[in-house]
Amino acid sequence: MHELGIVYEVIKVVDGFVKENQLTYMDKIVLEIGQLSQAIPRFIEQCYPAAVSDTPYIHTVLEIITLPAMGICKICGTNYNIVEHKKICPHCGGESFQLLTGQEFNIKEIVAR
Amino acid sequence: MSDLKVFTIKKNIQEDNKAIANQTRDHLGAQGAFMVNVMSSPGSGKTTTLVSTIHALKETLAIGVIEADVDSDVDARAVQDAGARAVQMHTGGLCHLDATMAKGGIDALGCEDLDLVFLENIGNLICTVGYDTGAHKNIAILSVPEGDDKPLKYPMMFAKVDALLISKIDVMPYFDFNMQRLEERVRALNPNVAIFPMSAKTGEGLTPWLGWLTQAMKGAKHD
Repeated sequence: MHELGIVYEVIKVVDGFVKENQLTYMDKIVLEIGQLSQAIPRFIEQCYPAAVSDTPYIHTVLEIITLPAMGICKICGTNYNIVEHKKICPHCGGESFQLLTGQEFNIKEIVAR
Repeated sequence: MSDLKVFTIKKNIQEDNKAIANQTRDHLGAQGAFMVNVMSSPGSGKTTTLVSTIHALKETLAIGVIEADVDSDVDARAVQDAGARAVQMHTGGLCHLDATMAKGGIDALGCEDLDLVFLENIGNLICTVGYDTGAHKNIAILSVPEGDDKPLKYPMMFAKVDALLISKIDVMPYFDFNMQRLEERVRALNPNVAIFPMSAKTGEGLTPWLGWLTQAMKGAKHD
């Protein structure tokens, strides 16, 4: 279960931002998680309450945006979701692609005052 | 009326880890120490491989080992008995090492007088490879009993390492392990990876691996 460690890392970064900008209230944290990232959104959501239980962010909402695993076919140039299409280009059947997105784990934004 | 504002952060959570890892690499490099991150599944022979590597190199190099396990210190004792300085880290259930944990191990070991440091990662073919530890080279060990299909099942590990050691080749006759098929599967993911079939038990195949390792250390000194 490595998601808990990842959530602690998120809290650390957010906490740094909050202190730096002298924010007093945190409403929401928005994460972007790629489909091929090593973090599973459902597990992140499940361990989030435990990670924030002893912090000022106990009432802060967590929102997760999943980013699709998109690749570009090296043969015909079609962009396609490599998970949905099992790495095979739906246009030409090619199996060679370059990954464009899907490995992200970003703290996109926070809503605060 | 709400006075809430949206603050765009767009921060990759791996960035901090990468920064710490880069610091570690520079810091070790300045001290003349070369670190190798060793990854594999549990029971592939990481410790046994390190023990024979230490035996072969300890006359010429000062070697340290950072052992990371969920519990126990059997591995640290084994490499210490072989002639390396060792520290044991307990990860308390965590399944990979990140740069901060690796740095803790390096500080505990004290690398000023060492030439070569092995970071024996937690036995896990999945998430260990996703974290830069600050090592100069990353290697994986796959043992013959695990099977030649592992690159298909855990592609990220085999796609990202600099060298792959195929351990326990002395038991090849008892397993349906096809070395050529394995190489093809690995090279499809990672064309330039160095592959070393070997047996830490008999010593077979150890020399090419030691050659690669010493070359890599020399290369780092000239960078």
